[in-house]
Amino acid sequence: MLEARLEQASMLKKVVDAIKDLVQDCNFDCNDSGIALQAMDNSHVALVSMLLRSEAFQPFRCDRNIALGINLSSLTKVLRAAQSDDQLTIKAEDAPDVVNLVFESKNTDRISEYDIKLMDIDQEHLGIPETDYAATIAMPAPEFQRICRDLSALSESVSIECTKEGVKFACQGDIGSGSVQLRASSDVSNPDENVEIELSEPVSLTFSLKYLVNFCKASGLSTRVRLCLSSEVPLLVEYPMQENSYLRFYLAPKIGDEE
Amino acid sequence: MGIKHLYQLISENAPEAIKTGEIKNQFGRKVAIDASMSIYSFLIAVRSDGQQLMNESGETTSHLMGLFYRTLRMVDNGIKPLYVFDGAPPKLKSGELAKRFQRKTEAQAAAEEAKETGTAEDVEKFSRRTVRVTREHNEECRRLLKLMGIPYIVAPTEAEAQCALLARAGKVYAAASEDMDTLTFNTPILLRHLTFSEQRKEPIQEIHLDQALEGLEMQREQFIDLCILLGCDYLDPIKGIGPSTALKLIREHKDLEGVVEHMKSNTKYTIPDDWPFADARLLFLEPDVHAADHPDCDFKWEAPDEEGLVKYLVEEKHFSEDRVRSGAAKLKKNMKTAQQSRLEGFFKPVEKTAEQKATLKRKAEEKTAEKKKKQKQDAKDKKASKTKAKGGA
Repeated sequence: MLEARLEQASMLKKVVDAIKDLVQDCNFDCNDSGIALQAMDNSHVALVSMLLRSEAFQPFRCDRNIALGINLSSLTKVLRAAQSDDQLTIKAEDAPDVVNLVFESKNTDRISEYDIKLMDIDQEHLGIPETDYAATIAMPAPEFQRICRDLSALSESVSIECTKEGVKFACQGDIGSGSVQLRASSDVSNPDENVEIELSEPVSLTFSLKYLVNFCKASGLSTRVRLCLSSEVPLLVEYPMQENSYLRFYLAPKIGDEE
Repeated sequence: MGIKHLYQLISENAPEAIKTGEIKNQFGRKVAIDASMSIYSFLIAVRSDGQQLMNESGETTSHLMGLFYRTLRMVDNGIKPLYVFDGAPPKLKSGELAKRFQRKTEAQAAAEEAKETGTAEDVEKFSRRTVRVTREHNEECRRLLKLMGIPYIVAPTEAEAQCALLARAGKVYAAASEDMDTLTFNTPILLRHLTFSEQRKEPIQEIHLDQALEGLEMQREQFIDLCILLGCDYLDPIKGIGPSTALKLIREHKDLEGVVEHMKSNTKYTIPDDWPFADARLLFLEPDVHAADHPDCDFKWEAPDEEGLVKYLVEEKHFSEDRVRSGAAKLKKNMKTAQQSRLEGFFKPVEKTAEQKATLKRKAEEKTAEKKKKQKQDAKDKKASKTKAKGGA
């Protein structure tokens, strides 16, 4: 039996909104350490990996490992019925046919309850190796969103170049070219605005902007975003959430021809 | 021709081996295409009013039209095609058996001709059946590919076998053909419907040999024997053997030697006098192909020769110049842009646990059982309603 209560239903809403354009159906894997999700987009270019640790729920109970196969557009429909500061309780039996969602208003006594039918999803699970990234950039999430949005007006792809001077996002398109350069900065009074760069060696990689713009839909989840790059491996875009939970996106780079 | 009912067998016994998806999901992959098979299908399918496309001087252009636009479609979706042409047919195909086969088809054609006095529909059906890919067709297609900057190679014998080898050696991601015998030739992955037209909206089928073998619970040698028993291009089929019988026989008797032994002692089946299954098996096991490190197998995608294309297609074959030029522009663009890579290149799938596999298998079996039950029920209902109607009348 699974029973997990989130203080803010809006958190799950934001997660689902951020990933529903990449993934249509996916398994929510529940075990005693929390609820996890891993799924690739149809063309196998991007991967979503989410972990909501049991500490993020109050209370959290999961007796057996279960996989809840959910259609994300159905989940979106139900989550739309929740007010943003409603409490959300997720419940499921040990061998469930449905998952039960209960929204409780904090101010009034209104309780609403929904069941979503589950589906069998045969998903490939990818092993993601531990990587020591050559460059890690932490910056305000809205800033990253703005860069991606601005550059996507010009081109389909962006090159991210990280050197000890800073990080440069550059693109070239039919109408011209553009670039945004950021330097490491720290403001003690407003640490959310800091740009932090950890670099062991300079890297430069090219990625599809369409996917990055899509990832940026998660900006509402977190004030900060972390980009991790190494040459010839997928980019990691991480939105940290409370209690060490996270929403991560991996994106395969664009590679010039081998010749 | 391929292998009879192999697709049906795989879809019933190893549904997880078949994946379907849109053509755009194949981007960034190199694919070896069975050219002769595709050209044949273009000659049949690319028509208007049941007639092959022709230029003003009456030369057929269906094959060039098909090749040009279907290749563009692939390139547009980020696929890098490589065409493989048939060489000489293998001895077993050209030998006594093939001759007999030929005589049969000729006889069939003659019979058809006699019927030609029938309706227009018959005539069209008949004209489709007599379609042959001539040497000129092949040469024209090669000339077009060269101008498009798309590589091609000529296999020593069967194109499917060469495609399979290239895929097995990792030179390309998959072999593309409609022929199921490409799997028998040991391609790890077979793509079907890749050269179909956009309008047909057929999803691309991706068939994985490993998973098919796992689902059928057999080794490759047994799989080859199964394919021969089902009916391949090299041997005459045995009467009375359908997919389920073939699978049962191979499972019971392990290999063709055993099956033949069994059939000799059983009057139900008659094996043709000349049935050299060992030769056919050898053709599948060791087909005559260029090794992957053969100089012919070194191929490159190049920029198209736009002026050459215009000269050939527009001036000689009377294609529309605008469309040829925009096609050339597409080819150029796809040569230039950086290719999107795929995650599988970096992250490997985690092997499923035995427990998960077992559940999957059980679920698949339940599904097929249900389907069969439904079919049976449907048939019954139909029958019932028929008799009822009769009774009423």
